[in-house]
Amino acid sequence: MQAILLAIATFIFAIDQFSLTEILYRPIIACPIIGLILGDPQTGLVVGGTYELMMVGNMPVGGAQPPNAVLGGVVGVVLAVNVGLPTEQALGAAVIFSLFGQYAVTLTFTFMSTMMARADKAAAEANPSGITMVNNISMCILGALFAAMAVAAYFGGEALGETLTQFSEDFSWLMAGLGAAGGMMRNVGFAVLLKIMLSNDLWGIFLAGFAAAAVLGNVDATSGAALILIAFIGIAIAINDFTLNLKIKENAGNGGVSDGI
Amino acid sequence: MASNATTYKDLTPAAPLDKKTLNRMVWRSCQLQASFNYERMQAAGWLWAILPGLQKIHTNKEDLSASMEHNLEFFNTHPFLVTFVMGIVLSLEQQKADINTIRSVRVAAMGPLGGIGDALFWFALVPITAGITCNMAIDGSWIGPILYFIICFGVEMALRYGLMYWSYSLGTSAIAVLTKNAKEFTRAASMLGVFVVGALTCNYANVSLGMMIPNGTTINDAGETVANYIDVQGLLDGVLPAALSLAITLLCYWLIKKKNWSATKCILLLLVIGIVGCVFGIFGGAAGDYTTPISVPWHA
Repeated sequence: MQAILLAIATFIFAIDQFSLTEILYRPIIACPIIGLILGDPQTGLVVGGTYELMMVGNMPVGGAQPPNAVLGGVVGVVLAVNVGLPTEQALGAAVIFSLFGQYAVTLTFTFMSTMMARADKAAAEANPSGITMVNNISMCILGALFAAMAVAAYFGGEALGETLTQFSEDFSWLMAGLGAAGGMMRNVGFAVLLKIMLSNDLWGIFLAGFAAAAVLGNVDATSGAALILIAFIGIAIAINDFTLNLKIKENAGNGGVSDGI
Repeated sequence: MASNATTYKDLTPAAPLDKKTLNRMVWRSCQLQASFNYERMQAAGWLWAILPGLQKIHTNKEDLSASMEHNLEFFNTHPFLVTFVMGIVLSLEQQKADINTIRSVRVAAMGPLGGIGDALFWFALVPITAGITCNMAIDGSWIGPILYFIICFGVEMALRYGLMYWSYSLGTSAIAVLTKNAKEFTRAASMLGVFVVGALTCNYANVSLGMMIPNGTTINDAGETVANYIDVQGLLDGVLPAALSLAITLLCYWLIKKKNWSATKCILLLLVIGIVGCVFGIFGGAAGDYTTPISVPWHA
């Protein structure tokens, strides 16, 4: 019974880390709930508060993946309550599980990249439920992978951690390969945008945007706000072009040539 | 397959979206990252969130499909501020603006919000709230987690709700001026969009080489022997920062545009490159720490 509730809760937290409220999965909330399921909410609160403070410097910023907060917290509580490890030690032993949480995220994000073709098909057919389906598949995969690992930790405890450590050492190159490929895949997204947006006369603008980001993104003082500053520059260029073309049109109109707009 | 339509068939502006639909989309916006993926990031979640609006706006099936297709392109912004982009894009869709204009405005609006959202939320609100509530939890009080949820979720939903209405009315009022000069506006918007995509190519760059080629040893001032390495990524950065990201983008652009490759085919190619590259210890950065299955001199 405990294992089933644990699986359900982890399933929800796994989805929540990217969707739903995006707050419930935070250790300070998730850990006490897991503690309650395992019959020791006090330990859950302590582990949650401690882990939340540890995680504050470890945010999902700009699409980067930090070691996974959900499995780190859930397994931390499982080990603290079931095995009786002290808080710090339980969280330390949970790190390997949180690494596998990150693997699960990498696998899901890679797999869903290939599923976008299915979403394209639904869009071409103007079929909204096809889009819903793609989103639901993604959430179920992520939730199921996480729930499975939480249950494995529940039954396997610390010993499982050692097996996982060995496994992750042997296959680290494979996960690294997926990570490296994942890092490059966004470039496919950009290429698709450019396919449509990039007319021949805009190549210079594209490279200018790249250059602006290369400068502003690598200066400490501006790197945080780089994209806002870049939008300012881009707006200046766009408005200049807009007013210029408007003047040309007006002058052409005065000359008796009207394009009928 | 993205269709190449640039205008909608039915150009009569649709009726303004009612409050019920807008509210429904505010709640749907929570699922922005439901099918987050490496290629298009939040695209499918974004489309799902604005679908109720699109279905009201585009009663004609062809237009709905055109709109769904272009709204499935790469999308990434801050999840709590996304309704700002939604409001503007929906106001443009409602006025049946040129598809290129909508695409460009969407791209230009999504980028900057990421930085603002991270600064506001992850660097300010969450650390402050955690500072207040974590010690309550460690002392064994349920008030800690409950307060944490109320503060963070409250701010999040207030932002989602407020931004949606604000940007929708902003877009609707601005658009009358712009439709008069639609052609010029489309061109200007495209310039801004392309400029931002160029910036994203550099700013979102997430590929780097991890090769450190041994290059003999020297003896330092303290008399110790120090191994020297050639950092290949460092050399590359000296030529052009984010050069690899630019190169891969242009490679995919060429494959898709000139060779008619599908995006999926490009992804599979990158998967092979990524995994084979890590077998030979070529990649670093997003690949993380790893041991290569075969031993190579440039990977420790």
